[in-house]
Amino acid sequence: MSEAQVKVHVDKVNKSYGENHVLRDISLDIAENEVVVMIGPSGSGKSTFLRMLNQLETPDNGTIIVDGYDISDKNTDINKVRENIGMVFQNFNLFNNYTVLENIMLAPVELKKLDKVAAEKKARELLETVGLSDKADMPVSSLSGGQKQRIAIARALAMTPDIMLFDEPTSALDPEMVGDVLDVMKNLAESGMTMIIVTHEMGFAKQVADRVVFFESGKIQESGTPDQVFDAPKNERLQEFLSKVTHA
Amino acid sequence: MKKIWMFCVAFLATVTMMMGITKVDAAQPNYIITTDATYPPFDFQDKNNQYTGIDQEILKTIAKREGFTYTLKPMSFNAATQSVTSGQADAVIAGMSITDERKQVFDFGTPYYKSGIAWAVKKGSTIKSLKDLKGKTVAIKTGTAGADYALSIQKKYGFKVTYFSDSDTLYNDVINGNSQATFGDLPVLQYTIKNGTKLKVMNPTNPYEAGWYGFAVKKGDNAQLLAAFNKGFAAIKKDGTYQKIVNKYLGAPASEFTGSKSDNSSVFGILKSNENAFMKGLWQTILLTLFGIIFASLWGVLLGIMGVSQNSVIRGVSTTIIYIFRGMPLMVLAFFIYIGLPGVIGTKIPAFTAGVITLILNEGAYTGAFVRGGFEAVDKGQMEAARSLGFTYGKSMYKVIMPQGLKIMVPSFINQFIITLKDTSILSAIGILELTQTGTLIVSRNSQGFRVWAIIAVIYLVVITLLTWFSNWVEKRTRS
Repeated sequence: MSEAQVKVHVDKVNKSYGENHVLRDISLDIAENEVVVMIGPSGSGKSTFLRMLNQLETPDNGTIIVDGYDISDKNTDINKVRENIGMVFQNFNLFNNYTVLENIMLAPVELKKLDKVAAEKKARELLETVGLSDKADMPVSSLSGGQKQRIAIARALAMTPDIMLFDEPTSALDPEMVGDVLDVMKNLAESGMTMIIVTHEMGFAKQVADRVVFFESGKIQESGTPDQVFDAPKNERLQEFLSKVTHA
Repeated sequence: MKKIWMFCVAFLATVTMMMGITKVDAAQPNYIITTDATYPPFDFQDKNNQYTGIDQEILKTIAKREGFTYTLKPMSFNAATQSVTSGQADAVIAGMSITDERKQVFDFGTPYYKSGIAWAVKKGSTIKSLKDLKGKTVAIKTGTAGADYALSIQKKYGFKVTYFSDSDTLYNDVINGNSQATFGDLPVLQYTIKNGTKLKVMNPTNPYEAGWYGFAVKKGDNAQLLAAFNKGFAAIKKDGTYQKIVNKYLGAPASEFTGSKSDNSSVFGILKSNENAFMKGLWQTILLTLFGIIFASLWGVLLGIMGVSQNSVIRGVSTTIIYIFRGMPLMVLAFFIYIGLPGVIGTKIPAFTAGVITLILNEGAYTGAFVRGGFEAVDKGQMEAARSLGFTYGKSMYKVIMPQGLKIMVPSFINQFIITLKDTSILSAIGILELTQTGTLIVSRNSQGFRVWAIIAVIYLVVITLLTWFSNWVEKRTRS
């Protein structure tokens, strides 16, 4: 992996909440176009790790370089860096005071100073890619969870990010809604987007991931290709985790 | 954000302007003279809502003869005297007894009326002498010589005291039997009884601590005004005008000043004969409410925004301001601003301005608290989503959190508007002639407490209903 290809470089990062040591000496490099899926039991630190990549959480120590910016350095303008990192949340977090279209247009118009006509054109294109063109002028409260999450992905993509972060994007959805959201994510992965995904969807991970990372007790216990991780797990805790997940 | 800052600048400018108006032109002396709004026969409103009485006629006659003008500020006795000592007013004439204690802070003119302390009980009461007051309650008017006298003999006769700031409520308290006696100036009690108040003076021929009433200025100030008063008083005493004035009030039948019986015995009659007074009072109440609502909301929103700031110092400032002004009774704040502050800053503050500032600080603190709460009630994910897109904290607040928070707060705002309207009534204490003070003045003249207060209550309810309708209409519009 050459320097130029590295999109995310994390070196010896620690994070504690009081007595609770959530992340211990985490180091991880992620290349351009790579799709990394992070799995692990609840409380293993995978979500906290993900949220550090756009500084929704700050590390106690260690280095995090994203998209060429050292975001662990206090002098870095984090808002500029965030414009190039899209994030999708478990609870969608669509802006309730705007319509679907306005949700997607808000950031490009306010931050990239895109004129409204161009922003709307782009927003409608994105709505089409997520299959929700007919919802453009709806208030977000009228959408189902699956629809909301697809709009949230479109909102993040509207800023043409280099990296997309997904924090359990399907955990709050009814089962029948999950497929639509995963399809959108699959297409995105195929288009070459660098993606870091926290999820419990093992089938999806097998299908889409270039690399699977297993978190447990604040540590990366094992990582490798989906075949290595799912079919020949070496770590005892990973074996235990997989047996629970697949039998559930 | 920019808009809010502009509002704040506009707000400060308005307040400064309102304060600026009070600068008095020194060339043509126009004095501000305070009086007790309800102290017949010396000071009271007649049936045409003009201030009249022995004090007022003496003052008017002397002013005319000596060639000075004045603006009369009727308020409670205490506020009237304190306004002079704090420099808010130039002089006070309010049936004020000359005492050694008062001489420490006031310069008195020639004593103009000899009075004394009398005590009175309800007509038909079984109390025959001061000894019978043991264990009973005595009603006294705050800051009066009658109150001082009652307190000086309180231990000896073993009675309890209860304080009032206006005479009419005090008399009613005795008549209703909540308290059993009162101490006051003899002529005042006599005049009241003559006008139909069902009390009986117990010592009409031998008042205690017989003493004199005096016109007063702040010690060391306004020597020119005092000299003019003394000169004019000597003249009206000499030519008999003074005696005529006294006779006019102590010899007159009650209806001459209080209006005919038919005007006072029905709600309609009271409404008709006091139409102007009610309208003026209502208008003052509405003005106070409007100023209060608009500026307190702006100030409160600013406090609320400061309260959710990322900067802990700004947050602390907001919390402290809210803590102080929410914890302070409105009336204390009003007195502090109107009577306390001018002495320190050396500028007069008109009662209306003081009232509006009081409302802004008090209602603004409550508004600030619920605005902060409203912002905090917006789901945290909304802020995270906005930040993750690259919005700054300020822009996230402005574009995402504030619009949602303000929507949550609409019912609280409406509630606060109604409270503001009701709270304006407390400002009657600093002499603003709003609806409640208007009621006090009318009752002190015609003693029709039930009818007058019923009218005032209905007016408040009507205004509050209109305000609620208006607010609901606005709320519906913001939702669509």
